Amino acid sequence: MKNKIKIIILLISLLTSKLNGATIRVVTTTQDLKSIAELIGGDKVEVFSIATGYQNPHFVDPKPSYIIKLSNADVFVTVGLDLENGWSPQLVTSSRNPKIQKGSPGYVDASEGVSLMQIPSSLNRGEGDIHLFGNPHYWLDPLNGKQIARNICNGLEKISPLNKNFFESNLKLFNETIDRKIIEWIKVMAKYKGAKIIAYHNEWCYFENRFGFQIVDFLEPKPGIPPSPSQLVKIIGEIKSNQIKVIISSPYFTTSSSDVVAKQTGAKVLTLATSSGAFESIKNYYDLFDYNITQLVSALKQ
Amino acid sequence: MKKIFLIVLYSISIIPVYSQTDSTASDSLLLLQIQNQLKIPESTNSIPSRSSISANPDISVIGDFRANYQSNYTRHFNANLNETEISFQSVVDPYVRADFFVSLSRDQETGAFDVGVEEGYLTTLSLPAHLQLKAGKFKQMLGRINFLHPHALPFIDMPNAFVRFFGEEGLNDAGLSLSWLLPNNSFFQELTVEITDGPHENPSFIRSSGNNFIGLAHLKNFWDLTNNATLEFGLTGISGPNVSNKITSIAAADLTYKWKPVKFNTYKSVTFQNEFYYSHTPYLTKSVNSIGFYSMLLMQISKRTFLTGRYDYTNKPTSNKFVEEAGSLTVGWYLTEFQKIELQVKNTSANSEEIENNYKKNFNQVFIRWIFVIGSHGAHKY
Repeated sequence: MKNKIKIIILLISLLTSKLNGATIRVVTTTQDLKSIAELIGGDKVEVFSIATGYQNPHFVDPKPSYIIKLSNADVFVTVGLDLENGWSPQLVTSSRNPKIQKGSPGYVDASEGVSLMQIPSSLNRGEGDIHLFGNPHYWLDPLNGKQIARNICNGLEKISPLNKNFFESNLKLFNETIDRKIIEWIKVMAKYKGAKIIAYHNEWCYFENRFGFQIVDFLEPKPGIPPSPSQLVKIIGEIKSNQIKVIISSPYFTTSSSDVVAKQTGAKVLTLATSSGAFESIKNYYDLFDYNITQLVSALKQ
Repeated sequence: MKKIFLIVLYSISIIPVYSQTDSTASDSLLLLQIQNQLKIPESTNSIPSRSSISANPDISVIGDFRANYQSNYTRHFNANLNETEISFQSVVDPYVRADFFVSLSRDQETGAFDVGVEEGYLTTLSLPAHLQLKAGKFKQMLGRINFLHPHALPFIDMPNAFVRFFGEEGLNDAGLSLSWLLPNNSFFQELTVEITDGPHENPSFIRSSGNNFIGLAHLKNFWDLTNNATLEFGLTGISGPNVSNKITSIAAADLTYKWKPVKFNTYKSVTFQNEFYYSHTPYLTKSVNSIGFYSMLLMQISKRTFLTGRYDYTNKPTSNKFVEEAGSLTVGWYLTEFQKIELQVKNTSANSEEIENNYKKNFNQVFIRWIFVIGSHGAHKY
């Protein structure tokens, strides 16, 4: 009996030592979640993002090769709010990995606790691609990044409770960095408070709300519906009457419609990053805002 | 006075945490805090609205309206709401999910409606060793098109070889399907083994009166060639009873190359897909070895426009003397994710006629299809 207890204790200690030392395998749907997971998890995590930074996160092809990554994952982090509904649920089901199914400790919905904007009172697809739970592009407000980091930290702590202090310490550092940087970003953008801008797609409301400019209209007549000639005519009129200087777009939209409007009005077409990794220089979540704000300020001050 | 008040406020609340920051940053931080208090985002709410919380499964309805022209029939033009598919999909509990697809179709000639469960199955979520079990009635893991619902295909009719070997509906049967994700980290490999009851209507197999069931094994191999290009090669073996109460064996292979630029994946893509079937069918007095294949090139030329060219070649499982070839071109206009309109023109030629189907040696067909979906419909496999 004593021997059996010794063996059990030995096995438990071996297992816990393995868990303590093992790298936590994290799969995220997007590059921003990857960047934040790396900043919180440090050398305790190995993170793979399914979407690239220059890809439309609504429309990722659910390649079977992603199933391999998900089948071996300890933690799965999703933007949630139906943003990835067209591809990630199928991949997670096919992964056969009980650790990352919805409701399991390894399933992290990064949107939990985030204050959401544009929650519809009813869902009518006649209004285009609107999201049932609210606008899902919430990571474009750096203060929401802190809530994302909190959620990821909680997920990592559930999987590796022995590293709790390490994760909490990284979370504190992350929050402090955001607090420090957001002061600089807001300060730089303060001069352009209320500046009117046109956007291609309705994905900037959190960024707009945080940094104080104003998106007056979209090239898409309704979310997800490509620009129509009548919409472009309307936009040209709005740009001329409001003396709008900038049209912002994303890397995954062609600029043909924006270019037509720019040619007619003299407004500048600016392709901003919607995610880390969108451009070579954007290595992490902080760079995302550094890049966008630098670009925006440079266009607005002209 | 106001300034002094702000400085005092700042000193009380901020200095212990941010004492290392310079005065400019501190001012900005104070500004930020005041702004945050004043600027609560418009319409914010972390609690989903009541209408979004429901214990109901995801429900969708897909309409498939068709019109066609056939040169080999006395009535050349027809129009029909070919199929209405109603799906119910949800997780059952932490261990399994369930998917139901109910099909309502109308017979074009008799006008009678037929209601059937197209698919209804459970899928496990938590089996060990990367195993997954499906139980119920399901479209089987044969090649690249059998497991897809017709509305998800980039052409309107099914390839001739597929129809000759497996029927319009393909292999869709009740039973068990066990799939295993092979422990291969360099490329994706999945082995699926299925045993099913036996179809009631199929050109190759029948539901045996004895204890003979249909067995199927499929090995799927998938490679990421680059970020933008993938290759899939699949092998399928099927064995089951035929009308002579002997065992028919079918070997199938599929090869698919896809190019889809990650950055502009909603604007352009190319898919080159091929499936090949070989059947060995023993009858009472003889055995027949037949082949059939199709080759398809799908090109997305703009965000909304898709072109599909397809070549079909086939024998029949009952006769390798019969040879049928067909060429077709489909233009698809995908207005949104929720509707598409397709036009397909097709020429078929064969080396013999079939009286029972009004089948001539050479005939033309034109199909028009309008697919539309309401509700929440799950994604299809890659």
